[in-house]
Amino acid sequence: MQMKKWGTGMGMMLALTTLVAGCGAAGQSGTNSSSGTNSTGGTHSSVKVGLVTDTGGLNDHGFNHLSYVGLQKAEQTLGVQGAVVQSNSASDYVPNLTRFAQQGDNLVIAVGFLMQQAVEQVSKEYPNTKFLLIDDAVTDRSNVTSAIFKTEQCGYLVGAMAGLMQKETSIKGINGKNVLGVIGGQSIPPVNTYIAGFYQGAAKTDPGVKIVLKYTNSFTDQASGQQMAQNEISNGADILFPVAGGSGIGSIDAAKAAGIYAIGVDANQNYLAPSTVITSAMKGVDTSTYEVIKQVVNGTFKSGIQYFDLANDGVSIAPTNSVVPQSIVQQVDKLKQEIQSGQITVSPNIPQ
Amino acid sequence: MSILTNPQLWAGTLSLATPLALPAIGGTFSERTGVVNIAMEGIMLIGAFFAVSFSYWTGSPWLGLLAAMAAGALIAWIFAWAAIRLASNQVVLGMAVNIFGAGITAFLLNTIFGYNGTPPSTASLPTITIPAIKSIPVLGWFFYQQNVLVYLMLVLVMASHWLLFHTRLGLRMRAVGENPLAADTLGLNVWRLRYTGVIIGGVLSAIGGAYLSIGILNSFDVNMTDGRGYIALAAMIFGKWTPFGSLGAALLFGFASSLSTALQGNAIPTDLIAMLPYALTVLALAGVIGKSVAPAADGIPYKLDR
Repeated sequence: MQMKKWGTGMGMMLALTTLVAGCGAAGQSGTNSSSGTNSTGGTHSSVKVGLVTDTGGLNDHGFNHLSYVGLQKAEQTLGVQGAVVQSNSASDYVPNLTRFAQQGDNLVIAVGFLMQQAVEQVSKEYPNTKFLLIDDAVTDRSNVTSAIFKTEQCGYLVGAMAGLMQKETSIKGINGKNVLGVIGGQSIPPVNTYIAGFYQGAAKTDPGVKIVLKYTNSFTDQASGQQMAQNEISNGADILFPVAGGSGIGSIDAAKAAGIYAIGVDANQNYLAPSTVITSAMKGVDTSTYEVIKQVVNGTFKSGIQYFDLANDGVSIAPTNSVVPQSIVQQVDKLKQEIQSGQITVSPNIPQ
Repeated sequence: MSILTNPQLWAGTLSLATPLALPAIGGTFSERTGVVNIAMEGIMLIGAFFAVSFSYWTGSPWLGLLAAMAAGALIAWIFAWAAIRLASNQVVLGMAVNIFGAGITAFLLNTIFGYNGTPPSTASLPTITIPAIKSIPVLGWFFYQQNVLVYLMLVLVMASHWLLFHTRLGLRMRAVGENPLAADTLGLNVWRLRYTGVIIGGVLSAIGGAYLSIGILNSFDVNMTDGRGYIALAAMIFGKWTPFGSLGAALLFGFASSLSTALQGNAIPTDLIAMLPYALTVLALAGVIGKSVAPAADGIPYKLDR
């Protein structure tokens, strides 16, 4: 008797969970295919593209979100059929990639440095499927292309801007203590390249600047991002540069609450707090995703590493808000040209 | 030393203890009546999500908080029904609620708000400073710029202690958690008392979730609780199934997190510091502060033979 009731309870719970999971999958593929067929003037293609996000998920206001934007653009203009699956933990990477490869997708996109090993493994098992790995490289496969972003370049520009802003003590919120705060998600190359550029840029325009750097060790913990930010603010920081995915949203919140400034990352994050986010260091994950899908559609897919930098608009900085004086914008523009022309080279390593 | 005199360290301690203390006390209510509750993580996520949604839809964060409490009560009621009425395995049920909470909130977030996430214009609960407390040395540091829910949490700790240990209802709740047969014999309604404990627990866990989403922030993100429901479970055990004990444990874990934030960048490896709260949890559970004994009938369904 007891077992029977136990079974009923569990059965109900399981049924409920499965129901919701089913709805989720149906809802997602539903929106995706409809946006593909609703396109006006777009060509139709039989190319199927599967997108596997990292744990930050599609709502991270940055990196994973942008890859989806790129896929949506491809659905609308190239008529490809896209599908998305979000990874809830690192153990989801391989099954998620395999699922798309198994069901015959032409291109499987792995968003994130942390998926490098998973791509290495799955691309070997499915040699006829093409893979795009964003943020890290798998070079010894003919079916894998890797997108690497020189985010140290845009990090340099926003760092230079933050350094210049430190002298503008007449701006409300700039406290004259000459301290900048950086919040990293994890100490991994795609995060640290941004930070390395920020250090070098800030040191270029403001040699005496002090930079406080802390890591949240999570890309989803907004509360921790907020705490890190408050700690840095209490140490005198008046411009924050969070490079921490979803956790960084909490840092921007803290900057807003304290009446200081923040610099967005990956996407133009000004909309999160228009008077707080002075600019954003942007990474064209959307552009690169779209470009590689286009290569697959046109049959020009090439394996190996594709670099995205300031010169090909793979990385850039967002338009500044009204807080930043025009003279500073011009000086940063000049630095941008110097990087593009090769007069300045930015190292991807954080200076010791 | 300057780290210890930075008010932010202490404010951070209290701020990070709040989302641990609330679900820990919630779990205490449930387990005191004899229902093992490991579902705090899932209920927190559901609370966090409904708080943001209703705060956005109604423009009032207070209605958001109420919605979170209602959602927490509802999911706890379903959990209680399966655990008490159907006598299902409570640990498995709790796990199911956690997985369900993570799935349903991610699904609803994408369905309702799309992949742009919750709107940045969502209202959040106010941050208040009480001048009388602020001017007290040391204690004032703790209360530097705290959210209104931090104060509510402290009130709830005291109220919970009073309810559990100084009222007739509290005595009855504890009685059915220790010896339901004896309590039943004396004419107490075991099931109803257990429902009460689990639902109060659900409401408190949901307030903990709301603190994360519309207390210190104004947005929801998938899995934003980041395992706090499980740390709260540890805080509940560490605190020996009492409200003040749970608060003490939550403060210790909050302090460890806050300290690891403050110590970063001081030549100590960050990964090592980030481990600190969890290492403390292990030490605590290994019995460093004495033995924790669960209520005698914790986790055992009570069958009615009527």
